[in-house]
Amino acid sequence: MDEDYEDGHRFHIDDQKNKRNLEIGEMDVDGSNRETIFLKNNYLVKNIGAVVRDLRSLGFTSMTEDAYASAIFSLLKAKVHNLAGDDYRALVLGSIKDWIQAVPLQFLHALLAYLGDSFDCDSMSSGLKSPLASRPSCYPGIDFPSEGLVRWQLRLEYFAYETLQDLRIGKLFEIIVDYPDSYPAIQDLKQCLEYTGQHSKLVDSFISSLRYRLLTAGASTYDILHQYVSTIKALRIIDPTGVFLEAVGEPIRDYLRGRKDTIKCIVTMLTDGPGGNPSGLGNAGDSLLEELNRDSENQESTDYDDDINSDDKQAWINAERWEPDPVEADPSKGSRNRRKIDVLGMMVNIIGSKDQLVNEYRVMLAEKLLNKFDYDIDSEIRTLELLKIHLGESSIQKCEIMLNDLIDSKRTNANIKASLPQPSLSGSKLGGTDVSLDILDATIISSNFWPTIQAESLNIPASVDQLLCDYAKRFHEIKTPRKLLWKKNLGTVKLELQFEDRNMQFTVTPVHAAIIMQFQEQTSWTSKNLAAATGIPVDTLNRRINFWISKGILAGSAGSDSDDHVFTIVDDMNTNGLIHESSEGLLAADEEGERSVASVEEQLRKEMTVYEKFIIGMLTNFGSMALDRIHNTLKMFCVAEPSYDKSLQQLQSFLTGLITEEKLEMRDGLYFLKK
Amino acid sequence: MPRENQDVQDNIPNTPAAPAPTATTATKKPLLVAKGPDGQSVLKRLQSELMALMMCGDPGISAFPEGDNIFCWKGTITGSKDTVFEGMVYKLSLSFPTDYPFKPPKVKFENVCFHPNVDLNGAICLDILQDKWSSAYDVRTILLSIQSLLGEPNNDSPLNTQAAALWVNQEEFRKMVQKTYKPA
Repeated sequence: MDEDYEDGHRFHIDDQKNKRNLEIGEMDVDGSNRETIFLKNNYLVKNIGAVVRDLRSLGFTSMTEDAYASAIFSLLKAKVHNLAGDDYRALVLGSIKDWIQAVPLQFLHALLAYLGDSFDCDSMSSGLKSPLASRPSCYPGIDFPSEGLVRWQLRLEYFAYETLQDLRIGKLFEIIVDYPDSYPAIQDLKQCLEYTGQHSKLVDSFISSLRYRLLTAGASTYDILHQYVSTIKALRIIDPTGVFLEAVGEPIRDYLRGRKDTIKCIVTMLTDGPGGNPSGLGNAGDSLLEELNRDSENQESTDYDDDINSDDKQAWINAERWEPDPVEADPSKGSRNRRKIDVLGMMVNIIGSKDQLVNEYRVMLAEKLLNKFDYDIDSEIRTLELLKIHLGESSIQKCEIMLNDLIDSKRTNANIKASLPQPSLSGSKLGGTDVSLDILDATIISSNFWPTIQAESLNIPASVDQLLCDYAKRFHEIKTPRKLLWKKNLGTVKLELQFEDRNMQFTVTPVHAAIIMQFQEQTSWTSKNLAAATGIPVDTLNRRINFWISKGILAGSAGSDSDDHVFTIVDDMNTNGLIHESSEGLLAADEEGERSVASVEEQLRKEMTVYEKFIIGMLTNFGSMALDRIHNTLKMFCVAEPSYDKSLQQLQSFLTGLITEEKLEMRDGLYFLKK
Repeated sequence: MPRENQDVQDNIPNTPAAPAPTATTATKKPLLVAKGPDGQSVLKRLQSELMALMMCGDPGISAFPEGDNIFCWKGTITGSKDTVFEGMVYKLSLSFPTDYPFKPPKVKFENVCFHPNVDLNGAICLDILQDKWSSAYDVRTILLSIQSLLGEPNNDSPLNTQAAALWVNQEEFRKMVQKTYKPA
């Protein structure tokens, strides 16, 4: 008899599983439909009830409970997986709860009712804390929910939360990649975690998937940064205190610090937006900075900027706000209520200091401004204003001066042109055309506030040189006692090359222009002679002239001397196409290395060379020195440009670098010269 | 004003034969007058000399201000190749007067240097440190001069007659240099 009942029970489980799909389809059924299911299942419930009662009377209470509980849980688990799946764009928690009401609770209600509600539920639910403070108000089809049924509901919901949470945590990486489309999934996860409190599971799992999938040599710095920003935004929803974000962000930050282009990428992301992102991630249009600004504006009014917020969601969030910090919170970091998670702050955190960020931005800004044709700097002003909001006014003062230089230049430039008698002054001939000041626009910079500008020797054509002289003279007259010193290698030249059969227009650097100008008088040059004529070192010339070769304007061939090349102007159109295509790659590689402004790394390297010489100098004379003595000595005597302004930690890591280069060694906290 | 200062604290004759104890006090004295009226320009000059010396990277010569006083420097000279002093490292002390560079710094060896123009107390007989001094010289030229003096002594006006007499026999001289050498 026992066996028979057991079989019957098993049959029921299988039957339930078979019907799973059917029930999923009927999830949103209304009350009357539910009633019919109830009736349909009534026969089964009675059967099971009989089995349970009989087993219980035999003393197998816990075994029977386990049996139907595990059946219900496995069903619920399958339901959660089916509903949640890999779609992160819909909220599923509500539907799961509805289903719990509609299916398993109905069954349990019937079962408990059949068993006469004498159900001993203490054993199963005493360990569960009740996440819902009050008894749910409505049980469809059940007028007076019993104590046992409520406990069952809590138990099932907790299980659902946990299952969904595990599912989402396992896919958190993808969810964050999809952010903000995956916002609903994040909302679900947030609610689940509030009940289960298993945040540490999230942290561990997410960190390991980050290590495995993101923080690898193959991932581009832009992608990592985008994921970092999405992570910040997503985790900010799950945990407004930022405690877990701190834990998750740390490995990303550590990794990014090891990459050389991190600062550059961050600054590009901040100021240029995804346009500067070669992999095309992120939404088109605005820079991150614009977005941050929008966020902060929105946050002032609503604190959350997502339009998904319905009224009750907002109310929910408001109600949530008063909660205390999680136990994991670092008490030294202040209360969460006042703390806003600042994406920019977290980006700066990667770099280390605001100054470094500003420095890099300054270099990029200088590059941009110097290559401008007009004086249109509206977007730069906008970016700078945004930076000012986030970084403070004082730190970007130099950048402001740079922009002001541009504005002043525009005025001065117009002034100078207006005050000059038009054609006569520089009536020199250039390729048969008059050269007047009309074609010249100058950017006048206060070089003290700009990054170091790379000097490059260059002889520009005499007529243009004359023009520059006139301009400078005029400037001096207007702005006495100030004088204009030209940086002849900077700026851009628009020129047109006229051949017998075609005209070609180019926008090039002055160096390129000076090179091609030489071919006006003489169609063939050896690289040595050309270098002498243009005043450019031979190796630089050979590099730069590739531009014209790639455009099919010039052709290069080996000269009499092994390191002397002959460049000849190409007049025949037919050979052009061929050369053009083959040299395109060469050009790209060349342009990469051409920058008019010394990069931050170069500046830093220059500073460090000075410090290195000082350190070697003092160690030569004093034998051995401790870290702080070196630090103090540098502070005292390394005062000329660039004066020593590093922290003790920076010095220490620099010295460690010198030790790895085998220039120094360290014993007992003292540094020595390596013999 | 600097003139007077000089008279007061610089009463030791600028001869290489100056007795050691006096020389020691002399090196200390500029400390007191470091804040003299002309201190700023001297300071600037010494700072730029330091910078130049650090950046030039001449092999075998080096110097650096000692402690927090830029008027007192420690110097290091390595004997040039192909001389009897090859590979020997000598320590110097340089002390600058407040009216530097109009007056030469006082330079002496800190460890024993067996050399015709260096006495047992380390005083050096070198014309540019005395009457041939010019403000165009700087720390670097002084160190270079001393470095070349090691290989090319002036045997006509020796401070160390024994060394001057031994100079003709380079092998013996080298042995003597190594025997008397004590690292500072």
